[in-house]
Amino acid sequence: MMSTSQAIYAGWMEIPTSVVNEEARRRAEDAAIAAFVDQYAGALYRVAYSVLRNPSDAEDAVQEAFLRVLRHRQSLAEVRDHRVWLIRIVWNIVLDRKRRAKTRPETDDVAELARVLPSNGLSAEELAAAAQHHAHVLACVERLPAKEREVLLLSAFEELTSVEIAAVLGITESSVRSRLFRARNLMAGLLDHQRSLR
Amino acid sequence: MKSNPHTPVAPDSGEETLRLIASLPAPSGLEERVYEALRASPGRGRVLAWPGKFRSKVALENNWMRAAAAAAIVFVIVGGGWSVYTRVEPGRNGKVVVIPSRAPDSGGFSGAGAMRVPETLPGPSVTPPTKKAAAPKKDRSIKPAAGQNKATQPARPEVLR
Repeated sequence: MMSTSQAIYAGWMEIPTSVVNEEARRRAEDAAIAAFVDQYAGALYRVAYSVLRNPSDAEDAVQEAFLRVLRHRQSLAEVRDHRVWLIRIVWNIVLDRKRRAKTRPETDDVAELARVLPSNGLSAEELAAAAQHHAHVLACVERLPAKEREVLLLSAFEELTSVEIAAVLGITESSVRSRLFRARNLMAGLLDHQRSLR
Repeated sequence: MKSNPHTPVAPDSGEETLRLIASLPAPSGLEERVYEALRASPGRGRVLAWPGKFRSKVALENNWMRAAAAAAIVFVIVGGGWSVYTRVEPGRNGKVVVIPSRAPDSGGFSGAGAMRVPETLPGPSVTPPTKKAAAPKKDRSIKPAAGQNKATQPARPEVLR
């Protein structure tokens, strides 16, 4: 099934270049970008939030991603998979921001995690314990090497296949698999260590 | 064929947490805020975009106003260039003092103008022969080679130091 943006874009592509004037082309690009916002803003936000773990920072990153798309709208026709392309853009933005900020993510705080994560009918005590556990897990994720951590974070998105993760990270699919394997082993070791300390 | 990395994992490998975070819903009104950001982006403006506080006060959206502003900028730049051009006096040959370049010797050290005088050994000094001198003494230390005529050997000068 063709998505809205693809349909719009395909429609624009069918118009002969000689007939299309600058204004019409610009309007078509704007419509395509608007469709991208409708369709992918939520997914991009979740990708950004998984790295930054700060709602306002994640939203800023999404806005910056779409601004970049607007700036490079001439190259929209060359993009094959818009979803992966957009995720790659926002991924690079959030990694860059995280590298520059070097600040502790907001939701490392257990109380903040308890507020953000769904309660699913848990009691207050259970919710606090779950938040504590999630905070420990996130602390362990932060201790992973960057390459393994990135693959692990992206693999948490159900809608991304290993081929798409490879496209986002600019590596081969086999590298994704091997890094994911290493990341899981490292995580298991780290969590065991945490458990033994408690 | 596309493959999925979401293979079954150990229940406590921590990926549940990441999946929980990855599945958190986006805040409401995100799309509208992104639209606003795109609308307000400078890339959408024209060449001369005015700051927001002036935009509301003065109706600068008119084309003639923009043209006037552009003309004023061009006038200032050209006028400034012309004033600089008219003040500078071109083509006057001043006294030019050519300072010889003192290229340093190899290694960057200079000789400070010193001239090298080669050391020479003192030459042999010969005493003038005395008039009363008798027949030259025979130097017995030097023997003529065998079969060489003694009369043909020249007198050796005495070297004095």
